[in-house]
Amino acid sequence: MINRREQPKIIIPTVGDTVVPEILRLSGGVPVYLIRDGEADLLRIEFVFNAGQAAEVKHLAATTANAMLTEGTEYHDAVAINELIDMTGASFLHQADKDTAGLIITTLQRKAEEVLSLAEEVLFHPSFPEKEFRMLIEKRIQSFLTNRQKTSVVAREEFYRAVFGNSNPYGRVTVLDDYKAITPDDARVFHNSYYRRSNMYITVAGKDPDAALPVLEKHFACTVDEKWKPPLFPALKFEAASTGLIFTEVANSVQSSVRMGWRGLTRHHPDFQALQIANAILGGYFGSRLMRNIREDKGFTYGITSVAGALHNTGYITVFTDVANQYRDQTLSEIKKEIADLSVNEVSEEELNIVRNHIMGEMARMYDGPFSVAETIKGLIDYGCELDYYKKFEETVKTISPDKIKEIFSAYYKPEEAIEVIAGAK
Amino acid sequence: MIEFQRHTLSNGLKVVAHYDRSTPMVTTNMLFNVGSKDEDPEATGFAHLFEHLMFEGSRNVPVFETPVLLAGGENNAFTSNDITNYFITLPAENIETALWLEADRLGFPELSGNKIITQKSVVTEEYRQRYLNQPYGDLMLLLRPLAYKVHPYMWPTIGKDISHIEKADRQSVRDFFRKFYCPSNAILVTAGSVKPDTVFSLAEKWFGDIPSGRSNKRNLPPEPLQSERREITVQRTVPASELLMAFHTGSRMNRDFYVLDLLTDILAGSDSGRFTKILVREKELFSMADIYLSGDIDPGLVIFSGRLKNGVDIKEAEKAVWEQLQMTFEVPVTSTEIEKARNRYEFHHLMSVMQAGNKAFLLAFHELLGDAQWINEETDKYMSVTPGEIMNCAKRTFKDSNCSVVYYLSEKNHR
Repeated sequence: MINRREQPKIIIPTVGDTVVPEILRLSGGVPVYLIRDGEADLLRIEFVFNAGQAAEVKHLAATTANAMLTEGTEYHDAVAINELIDMTGASFLHQADKDTAGLIITTLQRKAEEVLSLAEEVLFHPSFPEKEFRMLIEKRIQSFLTNRQKTSVVAREEFYRAVFGNSNPYGRVTVLDDYKAITPDDARVFHNSYYRRSNMYITVAGKDPDAALPVLEKHFACTVDEKWKPPLFPALKFEAASTGLIFTEVANSVQSSVRMGWRGLTRHHPDFQALQIANAILGGYFGSRLMRNIREDKGFTYGITSVAGALHNTGYITVFTDVANQYRDQTLSEIKKEIADLSVNEVSEEELNIVRNHIMGEMARMYDGPFSVAETIKGLIDYGCELDYYKKFEETVKTISPDKIKEIFSAYYKPEEAIEVIAGAK
Repeated sequence: MIEFQRHTLSNGLKVVAHYDRSTPMVTTNMLFNVGSKDEDPEATGFAHLFEHLMFEGSRNVPVFETPVLLAGGENNAFTSNDITNYFITLPAENIETALWLEADRLGFPELSGNKIITQKSVVTEEYRQRYLNQPYGDLMLLLRPLAYKVHPYMWPTIGKDISHIEKADRQSVRDFFRKFYCPSNAILVTAGSVKPDTVFSLAEKWFGDIPSGRSNKRNLPPEPLQSERREITVQRTVPASELLMAFHTGSRMNRDFYVLDLLTDILAGSDSGRFTKILVREKELFSMADIYLSGDIDPGLVIFSGRLKNGVDIKEAEKAVWEQLQMTFEVPVTSTEIEKARNRYEFHHLMSVMQAGNKAFLLAFHELLGDAQWINEETDKYMSVTPGEIMNCAKRTFKDSNCSVVYYLSEKNHR
């Protein structure tokens, strides 16, 4: 008879010998991170510019400039450039976040040369045609109006407004008038300032990334009069975070979206890693305190999550869920109850071990395959972290004490200073 | 080429093992041949509710999630109209934990009343979150009963009506389990850095003594041939109207699947596809226009969905879609379009077999269809599609008498 009562023997994964990218520079200084891994005949090339919303003077400039890259160039109109891109089979994924923006291109290795030539064309020679710009804005307005009916989107925006302030690009809530105010020229000016070889880095991941280097040199090396410069991030102003309950009505909704949160930490704060671990215990995995309470015990929700995110110069902590309207107040008080418990009582070694192993497994998956590695290191490069960041994180995970977890909750999850947001029916 | 070895245990459990040394992880994929199409029309949503219950612990594993996390793994599952599929990804050295867990919830379930009550409530909130609380969330809830009059594809996986879930009790849950959850109705696939011999002996160790049960022999009523156009109109408070058009097509095993998959890619797979080029950019009727296959195992649907631009008459928009569809059976697609679709297929295929977890699912799905080896023959099937075949197939498919239309009209005028 086999013993079914006991879990078979396990080993704990370590970040240990994960792939470390090699850093090269194109002429003029553009950094290229090479990730040699995997067996598929595919290549992932990501172009990252310091061109996120944080750099905006006019709202929506960053996202529209990014979306317009493939809507026509100096050499090809929108239909023609898309025809050329699609003919290669490659995927051009637009990315415009709070701090950075760019393109993620994934292609058959054998098409890399063609694809990179097209990448240069769309990144540096877009033409911002009027008609395509108008169509983009019309489409954005449609999804804006659709999103106004989604309780989860409304609650998220209200939360960021409360935590960073409406005058800050991280916190600013988009209104219909913003779409009326933005022009192709705004996007062009933004593009011209930020989409520059001197303001970018490249990651190349796949079985044979080296093969792409001569082509990258040809298209993306800096010219003699424009040298690459280390990224300079705009200093942002923050209003004091507002606290207390913010209610926004979303008519006819059968569920309410509930959020609670605080201003958080940057990745460079000495407590950031401990915060990540503490946050996981509260709401970062399927077996978290909140999931067990709000979903598995009470059945109020399909899911509840807590995130401790980092941006340049700041960070945020946010707990969010969608619940039936009649449970929303109780949900907020249960979240506070869980936090209060974690601020007063130490977690057991047993619970902490589950979270430790969960995080170690997550890190192993973050380094599983070249494309995952590329995504992982982007998060490090963007925020000025060392590329062996996760080795240090592994140390923190292994050595953190229940006492430290308790301390994190008392220091950063203060119920009396919480921003509480509800979006739903009256 | 995905290489694999196969072995069937004496209790009927099929085991497929793919060795991939490029990853330190392994995925175990447990596919059960049961989906929402196997439900009683008066008790729909059951297969999916059951999927939830499978995470609620078993005789030797009080909390399913804990051993997975301790082993550095992650797990999830999904239910479709055709299948229920469970998967665990963890470091390859810990594969035995995954097999121990899957065997325990298959061989030694503990389905208590409390767990059932809570999960009924969780599923109700899932229903609200995904279908009712989302603008456009009920589109498929409207389309299915219009397109299907007999076949159980007429209801969605979440259930025809949330009140059905309410009726689930301990006895009906146990009956469902006994009927469908047994080794002879399951396929276990592993993909990752564990060798097939190891997989087979571990599978024997953990699953070998679980009684075989009976495989699911279905006798579902085939959907009768549709003979005339069907149409419904609904009003919703959404910012823009939506047009849905569905056409009956063949099963997943039918050659039409590959022909139409290629054609729908030419029409709407990319920004340079015909629909974006003509319906969106040139005529400015839609803000987005898509066409895709439902991909069901039994005869399924080709579905057009288009979000209208404000001020456009939905009948005019539909007319323009018909012009495009008519063209597909009157004029052959160009060699450039075929080449583009093939390049795109090659790219997407390589992407889909890059992750071991996805390979595990694809192998399990093809084994269910008849032979895991078929995954390696897909590329040839796509590459051999000819323009003539596309025209013939399109002509058979895109007929008004074979069409179900949903006019999903915006109540508010947002202009």
